[in-house]
Amino acid sequence: MTKKREKFSHAAVYIILILMAAVFLAPIFIVLFNSFKSKLFITSEPFAFPNKETFAGLENYIGGLSKTGFFSAFGWSLFITVGSVAAIVFFTSMTAWYITRVKNKFTSFLYYAFVFSMIVPFQMVMFTMVKTANALKLDNPLGIILIYLGFGAGLSVFMFSGFVKGVPIEIEEAAMIDGCGPIRTFFLVVFPIMKPTAITVAILNAMWIWNDYLLPYLVIGTDYKTIPIAIQYLRGGYGSIDMGAMMAMLVLAIIPIVIFYLFCQKYIIKGVVAGAVKG
Amino acid sequence: MSSITLKNIFKTYPDGFTAVNNLSLKIEDREFVVLVGPSGCGKSTTLRMIAGLEEISSGELYIGEKLVNSVAPKDRDIAMVFQSYALYPDKTVYKNIAFGLERRKTPKAEIQKRVAEAAKILDIEHLLDRKPRALSGGQRQRVALGRAIVRSPSVFLFDEPLSNLDAKLRTAMRSEITKLHKNLDATFIYVTHDQTEAMTMGDRIVVMRDGVVQQVASPQELYERPCNMFVAGFIGSPQMNFIDGVFKNGETVLLGNDEINLGKLPFKEKPESGKKVKLGVRPENIVTEKSRFKKDEPILKGKVSICELMGSEVILYVDYMDTELTVRAPAYNAPKADETIEFQFEKEKIRLFDEKTEKSLI
Repeated sequence: MTKKREKFSHAAVYIILILMAAVFLAPIFIVLFNSFKSKLFITSEPFAFPNKETFAGLENYIGGLSKTGFFSAFGWSLFITVGSVAAIVFFTSMTAWYITRVKNKFTSFLYYAFVFSMIVPFQMVMFTMVKTANALKLDNPLGIILIYLGFGAGLSVFMFSGFVKGVPIEIEEAAMIDGCGPIRTFFLVVFPIMKPTAITVAILNAMWIWNDYLLPYLVIGTDYKTIPIAIQYLRGGYGSIDMGAMMAMLVLAIIPIVIFYLFCQKYIIKGVVAGAVKG
Repeated sequence: MSSITLKNIFKTYPDGFTAVNNLSLKIEDREFVVLVGPSGCGKSTTLRMIAGLEEISSGELYIGEKLVNSVAPKDRDIAMVFQSYALYPDKTVYKNIAFGLERRKTPKAEIQKRVAEAAKILDIEHLLDRKPRALSGGQRQRVALGRAIVRSPSVFLFDEPLSNLDAKLRTAMRSEITKLHKNLDATFIYVTHDQTEAMTMGDRIVVMRDGVVQQVASPQELYERPCNMFVAGFIGSPQMNFIDGVFKNGETVLLGNDEINLGKLPFKEKPESGKKVKLGVRPENIVTEKSRFKKDEPILKGKVSICELMGSEVILYVDYMDTELTVRAPAYNAPKADETIEFQFEKEKIRLFDEKTEKSLI
């Protein structure tokens, strides 16, 4: 009786999870199979699978690549994302370590300032930020990395601080006795322990920065197009959109971040599990 | 030379709390000194100041002849074993042990040799490729010891290293650390709240309370001649019994209606007649076997409230006047609860304390 009930509850859980997965995956699959349909059929039958009549092969991909300057956009997106994520992980991990370990009024003010920055909506600071960025000549791919560092710092410092609080300080003291100064202690002992959190922070920021449209559009405009901006340029005049090319480019835009996520997934799970067990 | 000298050391925190109060101590080269006391007595703070992990508010700390107040921990030629082991979780056992040598730019071949030697001493050769999470508590503690001994420092600091181990393992590790001290040419400073560890391991024991050193002496001396009631109560398990009494006629203590003649005790300063005192007697110095009773001494009576069998002996809790006495007695023919028993104190083992100052009068 109980075995039957157990089986039933297992089945129910699976069904709910499958439905939820379907809801989350549906948009991606719709984009994927529409990218192989000729553009006329995308708007008339958006949810239909490609068939003999509607299948367009790689036409949309070839068209999209030539129309958008995808490779250049891919390069800029990659440069900005990798640069920003590296800067965020590097600087915020050090900041979090410092403000967690050094307890004074200044560091607690800094901590709350970082936490507060998370709740300020982007739209609120958008225009003043653009003006400031222009004035400081940050309106280029290198400058936007600095801006992303600023916007990504709040959540990242918060996450790293939470992790550092759980690291026994004796480990750092042991490193000091073993011959490390603060910089070596951080890079040789603390940062390797932080790896799961660093990867989680990297993924969260990479997904956001890779897909971000508004900030690069406002700050660097069209001089250095990132993928979301390049795709946006598939919109023609009078609201006409090359849906086929757009779907194809969206698929290409998603691939790198999905690969990155899948590659790092085991580390995220490690990060969640670590600390759950004593010792 | 790796003697350690602490001169008038104070540690005061920004909130005004004084954790260590005017501590002066000289630890000789190759000595095994144990700092012992209840939680918050300042023993760990003292050790951390010696390690350089805690700043000294005032006073002077010398390692050998060198003043080290502002010397970085890495330059003090010390190694420390922490209560939580403090192993680097992302590194293998080999890397954990080798880390300190690598930082000191020791040649690779030398590192391999020394790690192998340390691993052999501690019997962890088969664990060198494992990460700390794959080790048991005892194995982790051995790795922490390995990390300390591999550098051959002149001073070893231990901060309650056995507290996280189970009782059986603790006993085993205790003797291993004592052996280690015999084999290594180094000074050991060991912090613990466990008086058994202190008694079994140390050449000398420093008993601390509220940041103040109470007594520095060998285990034997501490046990037999505690300088005050705190030390007398802290050292020894079960702890010493204290009974309220009144000093009389230069030789006698009046316990209620019972009169105990102490004879000619070596008083530091003879208390005046009528002075309130505390009579201290250890559980094993209360005799319950009638065959051992002395004729010319009073026989006291008390009612057993609890009798705990410990194997070869029993611990009796005996109501005597307003005090509950703890008595260690042979298990053979042991009295039962609610039974009234007769007992005598071993006169030569009795301690007397001033009721007000709690200091030993003998």
